[in-house]
Amino acid sequence: MTPLHHIGDFFRDALLQIPLPAVRLLFVALQVALLIWVLTLPREATRPPDGSGGWAANLKIWAALAISVQVLVYSVL
Amino acid sequence: MPGQLAGLDFVVLAAYLGGTLLLGLYLGRGMHTGKDYFLAGRNLPWWVIGMSLVASDIGGTDIIGVGGAAYSYGMAVGNFEWIGCIPAMLIGAFVFIPFFWRSGVYTIPEFMERRYNAAVRAALAVCWLGFMACNLGIMLFASAKMMNGMLGLEFLPAEYQTLAYILFTAALVGVYTYAGGLAAVVYTDTIQCVVMIGGCLLVVVMGINEFGGLGPLRDAVRENEAQVRQAQIAELEAAAQIDERELQHLKNADPDHIEHTELILPVDTRSPFPWPGILIGLAMVLSPAYWFGNQAIVQRSLGAKSEFQAKASYVSGALLKNLIPIIIAVPGVIAFAKFPELKDADTAFPTLVAHLLPSGLRGLFLAAFLAALMSSVDSYLNSAATIITNDFYMRFYKPNISDEHVLRVGRVATIVLLIWAIGFATAVSFMEGSGIYTIFQTLMAFFQGPALAILLCGVLWRRATGIGAFVGFVTGVAFSVTLFTLNQESVYTALGIDPLFQIADPFLYFSVWAFLFSLTVIIIVSLCTKPEPDAKIDGLVYHRHLRIAQEKD
Repeated sequence: MTPLHHIGDFFRDALLQIPLPAVRLLFVALQVALLIWVLTLPREATRPPDGSGGWAANLKIWAALAISVQVLVYSVL
Repeated sequence: MPGQLAGLDFVVLAAYLGGTLLLGLYLGRGMHTGKDYFLAGRNLPWWVIGMSLVASDIGGTDIIGVGGAAYSYGMAVGNFEWIGCIPAMLIGAFVFIPFFWRSGVYTIPEFMERRYNAAVRAALAVCWLGFMACNLGIMLFASAKMMNGMLGLEFLPAEYQTLAYILFTAALVGVYTYAGGLAAVVYTDTIQCVVMIGGCLLVVVMGINEFGGLGPLRDAVRENEAQVRQAQIAELEAAAQIDERELQHLKNADPDHIEHTELILPVDTRSPFPWPGILIGLAMVLSPAYWFGNQAIVQRSLGAKSEFQAKASYVSGALLKNLIPIIIAVPGVIAFAKFPELKDADTAFPTLVAHLLPSGLRGLFLAAFLAALMSSVDSYLNSAATIITNDFYMRFYKPNISDEHVLRVGRVATIVLLIWAIGFATAVSFMEGSGIYTIFQTLMAFFQGPALAILLCGVLWRRATGIGAFVGFVTGVAFSVTLFTLNQESVYTALGIDPLFQIADPFLYFSVWAFLFSLTVIIIVSLCTKPEPDAKIDGLVYHRHLRIAQEKD
């Protein structure tokens, strides 16, 4: 056994203690956090500089949609 | 793919290939400068780039390899397209891509020289070029493997058939990439994206339909998993040296649990996709490294018409990405339900196609496969040529050349890379070993972690120095190669030690450890060396860049 083996085994044993439902929650929570970040982005970061294009040009909507699908997928599968 | 194509298949295939070629050649008429060739004149609309991002990311290796991995391990491979893409694409859209677009660079290594020094640029360029050049060969080989026995070349010996298919694909992609550069690559990718999604979706619908719905499909998968498990137990018990750990793992498996439909697999799974590898290795290291730092991916967003369009391209790509595991991983699971005893998992998708699709539709699927393949090969070809021209020829050999000269060098580099790729693909065809997808991922894992470490430090930490980045990158790559070597059976047996990792193909773990190692080295060495002057990093470090932009406003 090398020091690398000991380090690896330590992490592996620690991670084995985490139950899978908690892991699923972690996967979903991280994506929810990303969703919140997207929703709080400033207007100038998500709209064209000239304000053209109406609601469809608001990237916040589409980014939120993309990540919401992910939240759904990782909640179900 | 077993089974011959009929006349109608050839018509469909010829229509697709002819259309792609003509579009590429048409776009090639407008090439006058290096900027036209490598960045499409910075005139690309968001929706074209978005579709191109998805098409380029899904190559022939993915159609075959993800299908094969889904056949062996189930939907967990879908993580590579979901959590392994979408979060990074969205962060990239709003943080990194606008930043790169504003800096006006052609390549990521070029950005690295501005932020650090020429050594970091050269080291990164060498790694990306080596990876892309090898990957070109692997992709061409994947195409040949898929097409073997399909196009009526059976009169040739097997090895010549493979070579013929490699040459066919290389010539096709080479012509329009040579002529039209990034514009041809990106616009043909849009056709390829539609054909690829359409063709693969057809296989999914027909496959699920054959089972009579998702419920019966799940039942068939559960039943086959139980049978495979029993066969593995019998095989282990009959072995001279019984692997007790593996035996207990199989015997303790819950008979009602279906691993093939699970996205999140436990730490002690036998598959290469345990959840820590997916969450930390893939989502937090490999994926950001790929979407923020892969030249073949980022280059097309550098060619966007505006900063907003560059952001929109990544967001639209992320939306489309939600669909991809459905069309490329689900067929592997369907193949497992239908043909649980295939010897080579990489034949799962082709076998399913041959079984499900009638003539005419087989041609459409082959067009979809070629679309996936071509969209990746052309991207890597163009980006590798960009690196050769921009990061080697112009940087170290002839810095002050005319725009026309840049265009000529780019085209020559494209031809040289094609010849190399043909040679490498032929060599790969004689190799045996793990699946195509694993080869691809392992190659990438060697340097993606260190590459991400220098990118993140460079953009987000102004104290990071050029010496720190160079030492961190080189030692990080060496560290990941060491981990890989120590995990080879011949090596750990000779040294009398256990394998470092207990899962098959632990490329996700290499990337995590290499990233952490590089990060640590960069921080330590940077703190021990002289800080970069403010004048040098103004506009290149994220918070400074924002502040300066705000001051200008």
